[in-house]
Amino acid sequence: MMDVGRHPKIKLLSYSEIEELSGFAGNFHVRVRKKARYVKEEECTACNECAEVCPVTVPDEYNYGLSTRKAIYIPFPQAVPSAYIINMEDCLGNNPIACGKCLEACDKKCIDYDMKDEIIEFDVGVIIVATGMDVYDPTPLDEFGYTRYENVLTSMEMERLLGPGGPTDGHLIRPSDRKEPKSIGFIQCVGSRSEKLGNPYCSNYCCMNTVKEALLIKEHAPDTEIKVFYMDIRAFGKGFEDLFIRSKEKGVKYIRGIPGEIEEDPRTKSLRLYVEDTTNGGGVKHHDLDMVVLAVGAVPRIDPKLHSLLVLSKTSDGFLLEAHPKLKPVDAPSTGIFFAGCAEYPKDVKDTVTQASAAAARAETILSAGKITIEAITSKVNPDLCKFCGICARVCPYNAITVDPKKKTPAVVIEAMCKGCGTCGAECRFDAIKMQHFTDEQIMAQIEAALEERPMEKIIVFACNWCSFAGGDTCGLSRLQYPTSPLLIRTMCSGRVDEKFVLKAFELGAPIVVVSGCHFVDCHYIDANRWTQKRVERLWDKLEGMGIRPERLQLEWISAAEGTRFAEVMRAIEELRKKVTKEEVEETKRILSEAKKGRR
Amino acid sequence: MSLLKEVLSRPGGEEIRRCFACSTCSGSCPVREIDGRFNPRRIIRMVLLDLKEEVLKSDFIWYCTTCNSCQERCPQGVRIYNIMNILKNIAVKEGIIHPTFKAQVDLVGRMGRLYEVEDFDNKKRTKVDLPEVKKVFPEVRRLFDLTGVRIDE
Repeated sequence: MMDVGRHPKIKLLSYSEIEELSGFAGNFHVRVRKKARYVKEEECTACNECAEVCPVTVPDEYNYGLSTRKAIYIPFPQAVPSAYIINMEDCLGNNPIACGKCLEACDKKCIDYDMKDEIIEFDVGVIIVATGMDVYDPTPLDEFGYTRYENVLTSMEMERLLGPGGPTDGHLIRPSDRKEPKSIGFIQCVGSRSEKLGNPYCSNYCCMNTVKEALLIKEHAPDTEIKVFYMDIRAFGKGFEDLFIRSKEKGVKYIRGIPGEIEEDPRTKSLRLYVEDTTNGGGVKHHDLDMVVLAVGAVPRIDPKLHSLLVLSKTSDGFLLEAHPKLKPVDAPSTGIFFAGCAEYPKDVKDTVTQASAAAARAETILSAGKITIEAITSKVNPDLCKFCGICARVCPYNAITVDPKKKTPAVVIEAMCKGCGTCGAECRFDAIKMQHFTDEQIMAQIEAALEERPMEKIIVFACNWCSFAGGDTCGLSRLQYPTSPLLIRTMCSGRVDEKFVLKAFELGAPIVVVSGCHFVDCHYIDANRWTQKRVERLWDKLEGMGIRPERLQLEWISAAEGTRFAEVMRAIEELRKKVTKEEVEETKRILSEAKKGRR
Repeated sequence: MSLLKEVLSRPGGEEIRRCFACSTCSGSCPVREIDGRFNPRRIIRMVLLDLKEEVLKSDFIWYCTTCNSCQERCPQGVRIYNIMNILKNIAVKEGIIHPTFKAQVDLVGRMGRLYEVEDFDNKKRTKVDLPEVKKVFPEVRRLFDLTGVRIDE
């Protein structure tokens, strides 16, 4: 942190928020609100004289309420910039007649109650998101009695208790009687690996954090009895197993079983844990301990404003979605935005540093080149046909299209931001958007060619490039058999499949049409397949209204790995095709050609 | 059908495969006060391993008091108390029933109530101006006969 603060080429804006963001990779324009700290940070020398006279005492958030701070304070000793800050909600100085003591105490006169938020605007080429995570609050888990029992702490509180700069200067005591605990228990996986709490993932760092804390306690007081209650100890990193074994050698006891409940002795405030050691058949036993630490897991930090500004998407666990889970693990779906640290997934310090280094290197690839190469598959607007309705801008997953329906300016696609899903092209009712390399003409020609001969025996399958089409490949490579009737038409995304493609296929006598794409969380264009679903649902209604069986249009999500499923789906659809009669197809053709005439 | 498949197919048993044997359920179970060997984790494990006979013939499934503590605390949302009921139902279907449960059915069949009322109880009631209660409800016995429930006299 200090190094970052001192670096001549790094500008650190702490206590600030992004207000607005425009532009794209290489040309971002950012508007930042630097919140008022009521102390001039350039002049403050952190002499602490203001805090000494401040009469307000509140719980210290950094020490999780285990100590107190003043209304004017420094958040934590290593904070950068090293300057004080006034929390106006606690301060009496809003009305200087009421207090104003710090103002008098400050020799350098750097306190200013009238300081206002500052708006700073600047251009940047690349953005790295390192917004971190939160820890799970175990209060709702009533069986552990956190906040009800004084001597039940979270691992974060334990960390502060053991910290040399912590509330007790590193002296390990338990909160109820300020005495050194003779026995300490750790409970693992609190708030992680829980389907019920919606956090089914492993939080990654808690096992090793517990091992580290256990070793630290053993250093402080070697006679302390330490019991760790766990379901799996995941010591998978370099040197982790060594540390785990070392803690066992120091006498830390590991018991495989999570306690069902904790009871407090109201007199001594000591705790009784009921737990079964599942590695021996001894049944449920109780352990009496002086203090219990809940190894709390990570939960994603939700900041809807930032997410919408940077067009960030989330995976089902709530952490940020990468452009590709294996090949682009530090890239956001939008070009020029990268991730570092726990915002993307819970990780320890080493992994965070690794990812941060990778993000910096990835950022440099854009900054040093000065220009970026993009795929040629982008959409183009024909301004003569555009009717300024704004639908394209609304459906674009990357916010790459700008259009002002009020001022009636035609839509403009920023090609550097466009990834080529084609959703805008499919949604545009005026055919004003041309999806290059996947134009209407190209796809129509494919449909016509596919249905030229014996259309009754054909099934038109629109498959997205990344998942469904690749799923077909997997199916073929695994030598799985499926009927020959489905004919695949590739689009980059299922979002490209225009209503008129489906109707055209029916008009030419296709018995069944299938639209298929990635599963929802897997969409390679953030959430473009949600528009596919909406469109297909709309089409089902439309077909039903026209007197065409909606079942003849099928929507399927198939991933690239699901070769078996691809074959299964194709077989099921072949069964559907067999049930469509010649008369039904002829009737459909008649309905559609009449509808066309009616339109004319 | 295998026991596991049968449990999976019944309402409440669908999530049984999520169990990772953390034993939060065992630690929560109040039956430990009566018999420390009672262990929901173990029963779930036995079902997962398809040990049909061992599960259905064990006394333990009948010990469950359906207090719901285990289910409330299970991090994986396994509906343990529902699974215990499923197992009891399967056991009964297979002709296995714990003698105490049978004794209760016999009591209800004989008297139409679970707790026997004696003259002493009615005397106490009259003292505080409460009407006497019936000792036996023969209608219940008729219901038993009609539905084919046999009881031991």
